[in-house]
Amino acid sequence: LVQTNGLSNSLNLEKATLTTSDSGHCTAEEAFASEDETEESSCLSTEDEDSENEEVIRKKFPESFQVAGGQRLGSENLTDETSDVEDLLKEEEDYKEENNYSTETSGALKWKEDLSRKAAEAFLRQQQATPNLRKLIYGTVTEDNE
Amino acid sequence: MATQAHSLSYAGCNFLRQRLVLSTLSGRPVKIRKIRARDDNPGLRDFEASFIRLLDKITNGSRIEINQTGTTLYYQPGLLCGGSVEHDCNVLRSIGYYLESLLCLAPFMKHPLRIVLRGVTNDQVDPSVDVLKATALPLLKQFGIDGESFELKVVRRGMPPGGGGEVLFSCPVRKVLKPVQLTDPGKIKRIRGIAYSVRVSPQMANRIVDSARSILNKFIPDIYIYTDHMKGVSSGKSPGFGLSLVAETTNGTFLGAELASNPQGQGAAVLPEDLGRNCAKLLLEEIYRGGCVDSTNQSLALLLMTLGQQDVSKVLLGPLSPYTIEFLRHLKSFFQIMFKIETKPCGEELKGGDKVLMACVGVGFSNLSKTLK
Repeated sequence: LVQTNGLSNSLNLEKATLTTSDSGHCTAEEAFASEDETEESSCLSTEDEDSENEEVIRKKFPESFQVAGGQRLGSENLTDETSDVEDLLKEEEDYKEENNYSTETSGALKWKEDLSRKAAEAFLRQQQATPNLRKLIYGTVTEDNE
Repeated sequence: MATQAHSLSYAGCNFLRQRLVLSTLSGRPVKIRKIRARDDNPGLRDFEASFIRLLDKITNGSRIEINQTGTTLYYQPGLLCGGSVEHDCNVLRSIGYYLESLLCLAPFMKHPLRIVLRGVTNDQVDPSVDVLKATALPLLKQFGIDGESFELKVVRRGMPPGGGGEVLFSCPVRKVLKPVQLTDPGKIKRIRGIAYSVRVSPQMANRIVDSARSILNKFIPDIYIYTDHMKGVSSGKSPGFGLSLVAETTNGTFLGAELASNPQGQGAAVLPEDLGRNCAKLLLEEIYRGGCVDSTNQSLALLLMTLGQQDVSKVLLGPLSPYTIEFLRHLKSFFQIMFKIETKPCGEELKGGDKVLMACVGVGFSNLSKTLK
């Protein structure tokens, strides 16, 4: 934290100098810049560690995501992976809390379920809606005739 | 036609003309009860009484019974006689109200009808004589009703509330009607119109033309709007102005739209510029609705299809108007004809609103009166 604070301070300083640099103090600016570089490099190393941790988490997330997606689509191609998948699911029981967003997305992807069935339903609904005109005009008698 | 068939019974004042016209053509008597029975002013209105008198004039042997209050009407139709007739139409409705029914009946007269109608030529409610001349007459021609004597002429123009207009309508008779196949309306090829003005500045018509053109010029170059300023005796009794527009397609379909100024002393004064613009928009609306027959003549086309030879007729219409829907129900009860109705959603080649393809087999109606001649 101290380091980052120092960095931010130095950055602020740099900005300040940059803003003032218009007046023409070139030498001072260069000096500051060299100092900053050393500090930044040290900072970056700590940041890298954090990012690595994140990557570990990320690796697990997409897998779980794929698994969920695969099951929903009902595709049998992933039979080989199912065992791994199950293991992953067991492992990730701890993550359930954090994975809340994935359950939300499953809700969002619900429209993809049974697309062909929905299309068939829409078609039938349309079919039923069209001859209504004759029924509307002549009443229900036409249904008996047809 | 005057055969004794069991009468049809209706209640209410709506669609009186339809019922009487179909009754006359089918020969089935009608009984209409409860005509404005709960109204403060019950019974038939003056314009309806005038219409019944007109029917009496053009038929021979009709029996009309109206009760004392005018709430019940019994009509047993006679034979359509025709010949030279004159009729003073009530000024509450325009001549179009009477003419619409005459167009349905005229081809089936014993003698060719030649009628002089006096009254209001243009109002805000009924289709004007100008629009009927431009749209209904070409439609009748499609069914084989044509000839030298087929004409509709505005001799004098009369605006409400005074009226004072005069129209000459003559129609030849036909033994049978041709079945039609009107399924492709084509594209709009030209727009024609009449901007009329009576007892106001002749400049009004020019202002209407300019404003209507300001909208229509964007779409098509072939536009001609005539200005018709009538003076003196031929200008009727009341001032007014208006515009009727007709779009003609490459396949001979005519789509009409019109607007008239408010009658003198009723409502706010209408600016001719607004009237021109609004009428142009109404024409665009009518073109959007489309079809091979415009919305004012839908029922006329369906009637002539029903009365055609025993052959299939097809007509593509725009969205059905409420009047047409009721007319279809009446056609069913008078002629036992049910149309095949197919909705055609607007696709690539059919732009605009949803279209309806109407098809039926004609009842094989032939003009018996004519053979007797």
